[in-house]
Amino acid sequence: MPDRSVCESVVRQLWPYLDGKVDEAERERIVAHLVNCERCASHMDFARAFIEAVGQFGPRATVSDALRNRVITALAREGFNYAG
Amino acid sequence: MTTAQTTTADAGDFATIALPLMPSVVRVAQALTGDESDADDLVQETFLRAYRHWQTFQRGSDCRSWLSTICRNAFYENRRRERRSTPMDDHELDSLASARSHNTARAGGVDDLFTRIDLGPAIADAIARLEPHYRYAVLLIDVDGRTYEEVADLLDVPIGTVRSRLYRGRRQLQESLISFAIDAGFGGADANSPTQRPSSNA
Repeated sequence: MPDRSVCESVVRQLWPYLDGKVDEAERERIVAHLVNCERCASHMDFARAFIEAVGQFGPRATVSDALRNRVITALAREGFNYAG
Repeated sequence: MTTAQTTTADAGDFATIALPLMPSVVRVAQALTGDESDADDLVQETFLRAYRHWQTFQRGSDCRSWLSTICRNAFYENRRRERRSTPMDDHELDSLASARSHNTARAGGVDDLFTRIDLGPAIADAIARLEPHYRYAVLLIDVDGRTYEEVADLLDVPIGTVRSRLYRGRRQLQESLISFAIDAGFGGADANSPTQRPSSNA
């Protein structure tokens, strides 16, 4: 049974670990713990799936036709010739 | 130091290199202003400045980064810099909150929530409801793939502030999506439902 205080210290680094923002020694400590702690590993998997879902389904940046036309009109006053 | 050969762009390249990057500039402008109509003004200003200085853009260099810098500079030049205080949350508490959210999801029978392909609209809705500081941290980093450092530079805030906003945004987003899934009865779904995405965590 993993030490609960170790579990907590690992979970406290959940986001930095998943974002690659922990140093090498800390990363190794976390990886070693996750191999032996199914509960912490499942927390990591859950958070990783969340980040992947946000990346996949989060709204892409878009430009309205009105804004695009407005920018091109302003550029045309500067001499820009838009053929597209 | 790059060894790639760079040449100055000519005016004809503006339509093919710069204009297609307008969505990225919109995102940066919205993140800076926190307001869509102000963002539109900033996007226009950015492209006007970019066009006037297009001869300084080096072909082969990163045009998205070049435009982002122009957008950022335009924002700070046009507006007195306001150093808004953002509540600084302990990132460890936000990490712990993810584990608590997982426990809540498990208890609600929705711990496979984030592998479902039908979650897309709920994710978009939940992101839209986040407070702007948190929303744009999530959008710029988790959706657009920018780095902490890049966002800190764009928004002129310390990296620690970017991290706090991102983690708080993720925390609120997770809690919101888990509540939505439980309320929507996702927990009763067949585990072999065709709505399951294949897991990338082999």
